[in-house]
Amino acid sequence: MTVGVVVDMMLGLALVALSLRVVTGGSLFRDIVLFILFGLLVALSWARLGAPDLALAEAAIGAGLTGALMLMAYRSIGADTEERPVRRRPGVALVVAVLTGSLVAVIGLAALGIERVPDAAGDAVLEALPGTGLGNAVTGVLLVFRGLDTMLEMAVLLVALLGAWTVLGDARPGRVHRVDRRTPLVGSLLTVVAPITLLVAVHLLLAGTDAPGGAFQAGAVLTGCGVLMVLTGTLRPTAVAGFATRLLVVAGLAAFVLVGAGAGFVGHAPMTLTGTWAVYLIETAMMLSIALTMTLLFARARGLRGEGS
Amino acid sequence: MTATVLGLAVVFLLLNLLAGLWRIGAGPTAADRMLAVLLFGSTTVALLLIMAQWLGDASLRTVALLFVVLATIVTLAFVGTPSDQERS
Amino acid sequence: MNGAMETVGLVLVIAGCVFYAAGTIGLLRFPDVYSRLHALTKADNQGLLLVCLGLAVLAGSVQVAFLLIVVWSVGLVAAAVSAHLIARHARHAGEPHASRETER
Repeated sequence: MTVGVVVDMMLGLALVALSLRVVTGGSLFRDIVLFILFGLLVALSWARLGAPDLALAEAAIGAGLTGALMLMAYRSIGADTEERPVRRRPGVALVVAVLTGSLVAVIGLAALGIERVPDAAGDAVLEALPGTGLGNAVTGVLLVFRGLDTMLEMAVLLVALLGAWTVLGDARPGRVHRVDRRTPLVGSLLTVVAPITLLVAVHLLLAGTDAPGGAFQAGAVLTGCGVLMVLTGTLRPTAVAGFATRLLVVAGLAAFVLVGAGAGFVGHAPMTLTGTWAVYLIETAMMLSIALTMTLLFARARGLRGEGS
Repeated sequence: MTATVLGLAVVFLLLNLLAGLWRIGAGPTAADRMLAVLLFGSTTVALLLIMAQWLGDASLRTVALLFVVLATIVTLAFVGTPSDQERS
Repeated sequence: MNGAMETVGLVLVIAGCVFYAAGTIGLLRFPDVYSRLHALTKADNQGLLLVCLGLAVLAGSVQVAFLLIVVWSVGLVAAAVSAHLIARHARHAGEPHASRETER
């Protein structure tokens, strides 16, 4: 039994135990904290499995942003600091758990039993990758080989924002639970961390063509910066979406459509990206859109303004 | 030999993580439970860095950097007070 | 020379893990939230420093060492601010400090 196997077993058991505890646990706050920790373990599992792109995304979104969102929701519903037990329906839960578990097990066993086909799509991607000028297979699949899917994902994100705005209605921007920047240490935190966030985001964006990274991860890090500023009051929510906001929010989708459809006009097949310049352009636009959309969703606002304005 | 020792370090830190879970069940206040998040955060950074060396994957160091930069977000969300009580 | 460097690096990493264990023990055994916070933050950051030093030695590259220093520094800032905020929150909520008498 090598050490690696022990690590894998521990991670697996911990994941299962934590998820069991989250689902059956007693109090809401405890469950939220356990869910945050679960996200961290998933990020570690991705790292162990050799999927750094996924680990990047999970660490940024699952551990930081989702946790913060849930904690803010917890405070908003006026839950008191006393732990309040949650009512459960064990019968229904058991049936759902057994069915879901069986489904996952069947799929997993089927996947394990499949023999490696010589013409598998994965091999084709790896063969075609050098022709695209990219070094990272994940970016290649996301932008070049299955660019249509990624474009539709950006549309989904946009629709989610529009849905949130619809639900928000005419209400004034929600109370954002924030820690004032004049609190000791918080101002310094922002001064030190925010610029590093920007550096990491740009690094991930540029490195994404040859190494783990890319638009989604960079966008998530940039969202982290935005969320930090929202949480400390540096950015305040506004009720009206300005022109710049609307422009940035659709920029990702627009870049995709313009470059992809534009390729069709110039004589290539639609959605062909004719060079790494196209990849960089689209990824930059995607990063900005993702970051602004997620920050707006986090702040429950249609726009953002600086502290004094 | 290096690989084995690093792997054992990973196992040891994972055990630390699981031990910290006890505080979530036991800690009388919400702040105590947030301490477990602090523990997890700090240990995760160490785990990612060790795994970067152990698995030979340099990008995991970037993951560690990303994680440590965003680590305070959860604490800020936990601690924040409703903004109605402050002047905007 | 390579073997000696490896050993030094591994010893540093192991020492770092020992500090992490100390932090966890402090989290589990100390009587109130403030002392737990104190133990956890200090021990974990020290552990992270030793782990970073050890890994820098093992990696043998200046770039990696620099990145590890940056990770540790930001980790220090993050941990310090988080600990302070949580302690402040507990203080405002009126959490009592454990006194020596309550131990017996």
